[in-house]
Amino acid sequence: MKVQRARVSVAHAASGARAVRPGARQATMGETGTLAFLAELSQALAVSLDLRQTLSETVTRVVDFMRVEAASLFLLDPETHVLDCRICVGPVDITGVRLAVGQGIVGAAVAENATQLVVDAASDARVWRAADDSSGFVTRSLVCAPLRTAAGPIGVLEIVNRRDGEPFSAADAELLDLVAAPAALAINSARMAATLLEQQRLKREFDLARRLQKSLLPKRRRDNFPVIGVNRPAHEISGDFYDHFEVADGRIGFVVGDISGKGLDAALLMVRAASLLRWAGKDGVAPAAWLARANDELCETTQDGRFVCALVGYCDRAATWVQFAGAGFPPVIVHKGGAFTDHASGGPPLGILPGVTFEEHHIDLAGGTLYAFSDGATDVRDEAGQPIGNAGVRALIARHAQDSLEVRLRGLLADIKRLRIVDDTTLLLVEAPRAERPEILLARSVPARAESLRDLRAAVRACLDALGVEPQLRDRLVLAVDEACANIIRHAYAGACGGDIGLRVQLAGAVLTFELVDSAPCVEAAKLRPQPLGETRCGGFGIALIDEVMDEWHIEAMGNGRGNRLVMRKRIEGIVGEETNEA
Amino acid sequence: MSIHPNSVTSETSDGYVLVRLGGEVDLSWSQEVRRAVLDALAGANVVGVELSAVSYIDSSGIAALVEGFQQARTRGKRFVLVATSDPVRAVLELARLDRVFQLVPGVDALIATA
Repeated sequence: MKVQRARVSVAHAASGARAVRPGARQATMGETGTLAFLAELSQALAVSLDLRQTLSETVTRVVDFMRVEAASLFLLDPETHVLDCRICVGPVDITGVRLAVGQGIVGAAVAENATQLVVDAASDARVWRAADDSSGFVTRSLVCAPLRTAAGPIGVLEIVNRRDGEPFSAADAELLDLVAAPAALAINSARMAATLLEQQRLKREFDLARRLQKSLLPKRRRDNFPVIGVNRPAHEISGDFYDHFEVADGRIGFVVGDISGKGLDAALLMVRAASLLRWAGKDGVAPAAWLARANDELCETTQDGRFVCALVGYCDRAATWVQFAGAGFPPVIVHKGGAFTDHASGGPPLGILPGVTFEEHHIDLAGGTLYAFSDGATDVRDEAGQPIGNAGVRALIARHAQDSLEVRLRGLLADIKRLRIVDDTTLLLVEAPRAERPEILLARSVPARAESLRDLRAAVRACLDALGVEPQLRDRLVLAVDEACANIIRHAYAGACGGDIGLRVQLAGAVLTFELVDSAPCVEAAKLRPQPLGETRCGGFGIALIDEVMDEWHIEAMGNGRGNRLVMRKRIEGIVGEETNEA
Repeated sequence: MSIHPNSVTSETSDGYVLVRLGGEVDLSWSQEVRRAVLDALAGANVVGVELSAVSYIDSSGIAALVEGFQQARTRGKRFVLVATSDPVRAVLELARLDRVFQLVPGVDALIATA
């Protein structure tokens, strides 16, 4: 504010001088005054990121400095090619006036992308006179300068009538042209700032929507549950969902859904459809009736041609049978005894036509697996950019069929991720929970020397990172393995050279097993007792730390008086589940 | 993981000795650490062990610190851990020793105790 007052007073001083010698304005103001004005204007505009304030600032300053009766600023709408008067200072308010490009002097400035000087308005037919006619104001002389940017003019700055009654000169036109440059720059910056703010706001909203969506997906069950689902959104938010729950009679209900379209409104419909489908199946109604109920409800409320493809059904806890019905959902693939069978969905998508009926399927699953993929999976593109289709999905399944559930799921996801995801991809599996064969994550043998420990720790850390174990637990597990090795080196081998330590890290279900094998003399297991922590002793922490970190550990002799096997176990929660819900 | 090489240095200042540790303190060199801590205690009434550059410490490293703590206590000296890194603090907490040691944020606080 101070700056502005100081500048205004400079303008008054200049006008005072002009009163003494009228007609010699440019000489009086001098180049120094003009430069100072331009510098101040640029400075003021540079700090303004608010578009309205930027425009208003420009026009007010121009009126003051150039001693004109009226000034206005038009902005060009690039879509409609209409110039809209956004700011106006003067006796007649023309804010809101709209001129086409080429119309009037304002329009000419944009059409020609050049400053227009009209010395005598009365004799120039191009002058737009509507405002004069209705207000009685007389436009005697005017200058219009385009607001130039690299992408062409974005508007016009117009001045009307010098207050001293003189017509505008070429020097006035040049000055306005100079003023227009920083004004255009500032308007561009303000627009970009507004766009950026809008983008940030959108991003916050998307983040919120994504978190909301993830919170709707059921938590991964690890208690020998026969249904497992994963969801990979193609973008930040997903139109896909899945759900599973237990019905009072012991059956397990499941849902997979896919909303037509993408983006925020598809995501919002997903939220509604997910809760609706869960509600509709909660009391154990047959799958066809379940879909019919959800369909009627969705038809009443869904507009804009959006619809929901869904598969709903039940299985028993041991997954010996599956009963389901589909609504516009891709065929369900059953893989049993090495053979694939497809079961096509019998009904139309939900939310289009009320009162339709759906077909029900009952499959004897015993020993097989049901795969329900949203169409995103068949839309996954191969190296050549072609959708992999049903055959591609079968090939993926066949490739991983021998793996245990967790490993298979990770393998399928890794393959799908490697191929390009163009659509949201959701996969739901139903199969009998089986004793999981442990997956070996790390197997290594190192000399039983303290110098081996650093690399061994790094290997364990990398292995746990690859599994997605959260850092605090990872560090604790690394410490426990390190302590176990240190004990083997110090106490089992007791400084003897030449022995090795074999480390094997395995994952079975959600349980990590660390197995350390040595060829040292057998250790008396009873002597290995953890000492209480928190005591200031100089040794014996190692076992206490292992005991603290692991769920369970034990040591067994290998026989023949030599060799020990230390087994440590830790249950890991939410490794795959967290990873699979990630974008 | 570790950006610091294993290192142990001792700086004698006015009234205290600062033992600076860096890297991964494990069985392979924790005896060096123990020696440095005990030597420092032999020569000063206030000893600080600076741990900001320690990315890993095992129980043998912790044991060296505990031994320093005990010696200082029996001889009426002061033994302080300075600027413990997050990994060190995590192990101290796991071993329930975070309230046993005197922990200070920086050397300035050590001077205050000297």
